Amino acid sequence: MKTLFASVLGVSLFACSLHVVAMPQAAANGQKPPNSAAKTKPAADPGEVKFKENCGRCHNPPDALSPREVKAVVQHMRVRAMLNAEDEQLILKYLAP
Amino acid sequence: MKRVLFILAGLCCFASVVRAQADVPIFSGALAFQGASTGGANSFTPIIVPVFVAPLGDHFLIESRGEIEGFIARDNGTTGPYNGHFFASFDYLQLDYIANSHLTISVGRFLTPFNIYNERFPLWVANLADTPIIYTIGTRTSGSSNGGMVRGVAIDRPNWKLNYTAYASAGTTTENLQSGRTAGGRAGVFVPQAGLEVGASYQRFLQNGGSNIAGAYFAWQPPEIPLDVRAEYAHSPAGHGYWLEGAYHLAPNRDMNTWLSRLQVVGRMQQYFHGNPTPIDAVPSVNVNQFDVGLNYWFEHNVRLNGSYGRQYSTTGNFNVWNFEIVYRFLFPAWPGGH
Repeated sequence: MKTLFASVLGVSLFACSLHVVAMPQAAANGQKPPNSAAKTKPAADPGEVKFKENCGRCHNPPDALSPREVKAVVQHMRVRAMLNAEDEQLILKYLAP
Repeated sequence: MKRVLFILAGLCCFASVVRAQADVPIFSGALAFQGASTGGANSFTPIIVPVFVAPLGDHFLIESRGEIEGFIARDNGTTGPYNGHFFASFDYLQLDYIANSHLTISVGRFLTPFNIYNERFPLWVANLADTPIIYTIGTRTSGSSNGGMVRGVAIDRPNWKLNYTAYASAGTTTENLQSGRTAGGRAGVFVPQAGLEVGASYQRFLQNGGSNIAGAYFAWQPPEIPLDVRAEYAHSPAGHGYWLEGAYHLAPNRDMNTWLSRLQVVGRMQQYFHGNPTPIDAVPSVNVNQFDVGLNYWFEHNVRLNGSYGRQYSTTGNFNVWNFEIVYRFLFPAWPGGH
């Protein structure tokens, strides 16, 4: 049990330290910190939001999908990721507007 | 091998039959090459994992995934000439009926939905090439089941969802299509805005005298930072254990795309405590602790390079585990044509 707590603590500290390290690097690259970026960003596409919430947990958006192949992709992921019908439609529109 | 090639040929024929549809079937999957050094024993594994998906209208779907892999290693572990063997298997070949958001019915061969590793982390998604020590707990005998499954979102609220899966499988010993005689289910609560999911699994293994297997899982991908935390616990009469993994892209947020943000550092801790395993359980007969650290790099969205180092500690000896992997993810329509 001690090992479990130690590993949980270790992973958390590791993640926090990387976050702190990554921020100055982003500034050096000319990137805005996430808070200021959020203030200036336009409202996100609801399909993009659903993609990030569901599909983005495991992978990035595909590079390019033609409208004729997107249905197979999204229906496949509806079954795998247990998306509801509304989310499926929003993601369909996002991937093949 | 012949059986797998025969089924793949059948799927190609099927694809040409449904060619008239506007929504075409797709071929997807991954090509990978893995190299490993486990306690000084080197091995090389080329793998192709083809996925075929054919939508049949709005409610029916055919999905399939095969796996053809070679295993090249020295005859006596660390000495002798290198020899190669090739294996083929069918991970799933299922017909889905998507009734509504609450219910999807699947029949055929499907991935056994015990915890999340087996279903959600194919080699192009898994952060480390090595499968966890407890992987075989709850996924005997092959990681796949032959039978029927229902799944869906039982309760769907704007801020949280309760998802479920229940299945029954027949015992099969046919080459490439093995499965255990089992029944079980999984339930999880997903909080989309927090990127948080927790759940539990249960399986009754209905052969070899019968046994109860239980598990729990946790996944957290906070929307603000590109952190990925996953964990699983599994318990069976053969043994019990857990793994806990953290992975982080070197970026302050998930939207950044720079050379540095494509780099991901990974750490994983595992502990396994033996029970009374039989050969069919495919778990160690001694207690094992292992840690792994790794680096992933995405050259493009569909090419990933992974390297990792781990050390395993057990009463039978301690040794280093090195892994290297390159994965190419592909996706194309079943036949060429315009957009």
